[in-house]
Amino acid sequence: MSLKDLLSPFYVWQRAFEKPYTSIRPIQERPGAAAYRGFHINISEQCIGCGTCHAICQNDAIDMVRVETFEGRNGDSGLRPRFDYGRCCWCALCVDMCPAGSLRMSNEYTWITSDPTEYHFTAGVEHTTWQENPLGYRRAEGYHLYPPKRIEMDMLAADKSVQSFDEVVTGYSEEQARLEADRCIECGICVATCPAHMDVPDYIRSIRDGDYEQGLQLMYRTNPFPATCGRICTRRCESVCPVGIQGEPIAIRWLKRFIVDQVAPQDYARILADQTGDSGRRIAVIGAGPGGLSAAYYLRKQGHAVTVFEAQETAGGMLRYGVPSYRLPDADLDKDINYIVSLGVDIRYNTRIGKDIGFDTLLQDFDAVFLSTGLSVPSSMRIHGEDHPRVLSGLQVLADVASGRDPGVGRKVAVIGGGNVAMDASRVSRRFGADVTILYRRRIADMPADDEEIHESQEEGCRIVTQAIPVEIIAADNPQQVSIKWGEAEMVQDPKGGRPRPVLQEDRMHVETYDCIISAIGQGSDLDFLTKEVQNQLAIEWGKFTPGEYQHTLLEKIFVGGDVANRVADAISAIEDGHHAARGIDRFLNPDAYSQNDQKVN
Amino acid sequence: MNTVDEILDYAIDQEQQAADFYADLAGRAEKAGMKDILLDFAAEEQGHKQRLLAVKAGDHELTPEQEILDLKLSDYLVEIEAKENISYQDALIVAMKRERAAFQLYTDMAAKVPESHLKEVLEGLAREEARHKLFFESEYDERVLQDN
Repeated sequence: MSLKDLLSPFYVWQRAFEKPYTSIRPIQERPGAAAYRGFHINISEQCIGCGTCHAICQNDAIDMVRVETFEGRNGDSGLRPRFDYGRCCWCALCVDMCPAGSLRMSNEYTWITSDPTEYHFTAGVEHTTWQENPLGYRRAEGYHLYPPKRIEMDMLAADKSVQSFDEVVTGYSEEQARLEADRCIECGICVATCPAHMDVPDYIRSIRDGDYEQGLQLMYRTNPFPATCGRICTRRCESVCPVGIQGEPIAIRWLKRFIVDQVAPQDYARILADQTGDSGRRIAVIGAGPGGLSAAYYLRKQGHAVTVFEAQETAGGMLRYGVPSYRLPDADLDKDINYIVSLGVDIRYNTRIGKDIGFDTLLQDFDAVFLSTGLSVPSSMRIHGEDHPRVLSGLQVLADVASGRDPGVGRKVAVIGGGNVAMDASRVSRRFGADVTILYRRRIADMPADDEEIHESQEEGCRIVTQAIPVEIIAADNPQQVSIKWGEAEMVQDPKGGRPRPVLQEDRMHVETYDCIISAIGQGSDLDFLTKEVQNQLAIEWGKFTPGEYQHTLLEKIFVGGDVANRVADAISAIEDGHHAARGIDRFLNPDAYSQNDQKVN
Repeated sequence: MNTVDEILDYAIDQEQQAADFYADLAGRAEKAGMKDILLDFAAEEQGHKQRLLAVKAGDHELTPEQEILDLKLSDYLVEIEAKENISYQDALIVAMKRERAAFQLYTDMAAKVPESHLKEVLEGLAREEARHKLFFESEYDERVLQDN
């Protein structure tokens, strides 16, 4: 070993007295570029917890965690993204994908702490210094990882549609359905919002897979009316679809319809393979509408014998008698109903409880009774002259048409109301060649009718006069006609809150003459079939039952559901009521068969 | 009725009569759920009576001068006879019409009285009735005219 080799380790000590080449903390701040992909920002109020960021993250750097503040909000899972900066590579896929547009990045990139667990944080919930940072990466305006616009549905042109009762919506082709299905981000927010909790992401996936039989099976788990709901559902699922926040929601209803349309009715039994045993129990269902038949379907699957009592000559309730065939063709409604009936459901048509059979008899003869009688009584306007023979009820007009009768509306019609019955009475009248004026007390934005129905009514030539209050019906010179006196209304803010209320302006009155006036201002229940004793024991509020858990009433054998027992009064809610009641009835009949967590154990 | 106390006694008696009217009708009601609704109406009238008793005792002021929304629903709806098989819709019409009649009565009486404390009380009572009328008209607007 040379002397140099011995001394060289000591040469480094001379460096100890030189200026250092490296910097010590705090390091000198060097701001990130304006669009730098730095630390994450989440506008947690805007976020809906869809979990798309979690799903797309290739590094598993995002978990979705429950945040109490956001729980229970409609269209919000109550979850928020929690980032793990031990895993994140700041690729910004989460930002590019975020359908709510709540996720972005700051341009901050230095974070010094001795506690490594701090690098695991819930953005927008836990305090960070960069949450309000205006700089950093944002998804470019108009840039989307999925097409924001839905595949347009082909429809009959308005000038053609008013010439017949043919279905207005023509349905997706296979290619259209797959393209639309491709837009679904599978977040499942829709599942929670759908009253029947249909497994939407999975049945949409069945379209992408081309496995329509699987799609049908998934739908029947919670809804035995998919052909119907694929056409006329109020689609609350679409109203919360995250894709709709910055684009148009997935056309869930049309995709549902597409699946059902691909399966022939004769294949249903093989595909669904529903087992119906014999429990030895007998259940009576009053009303063959969506609520009653949904209950019947699930009760049969539990092995119970079901007898449905229906006052009309066919099944379907308001779906049959209140929804015209241009929205829901009979063949499609029958596709749903026939399959339910094929499981051995006995429907006694033209049988009115309280008249043909006493309610007490049902209570004696059956192990449980499910009431789903709907809202069948049209509300009266209660204005002078209303009993004029040319004042028709909207429900009656629709029932006439459903039964193949000409409702005799004439050539010039006024329709009073802003709900779906009013819209359909108007559109039906257009199909009988009438000029139609819709008089509505409030504004179009206040109309309870489906937006599509309002739009299509206008497209088909119905004239909507808003803020018009009917005051009096007057006999016209021609006995085949009738006049209506109506006044203009001003919308006045209610001091107690709520929606603005229309107030009649007595100095702005109009008198107009029509061939008929169709009143469609709402409908109520008819519970007169119940004995007084039963009525007094059931909780009834403003004409509707107020059921408890599992649609059970205060009387042990009686369960209720559908429009007569819920605030929403739409088909999908009635269907869920029926399903729920079926579970309730089965629990009531076999209490020992259920575990404490509500699972059937044998 | 020349004194404030006499007017208030009259108004209190009217509220009691209204409460009795609904309670009686509730006892005879045939339609499902109507008994409870009518008893609610009776309780509402009892509340009005208690309020007026408090005014008479000097513990409470009548509704102060302010514009009370008039939906005018009771102006053009038909008269309804309060029968045993009365419906929800009709019960509300009966109630709003009764409140409207009371409002009209106090308004007319106030118009005939020269400026005085008595006139102020009559106008206050009219405002009370207008407020009650608004309650029932709002209920009608919300529950009956849902689709209209």
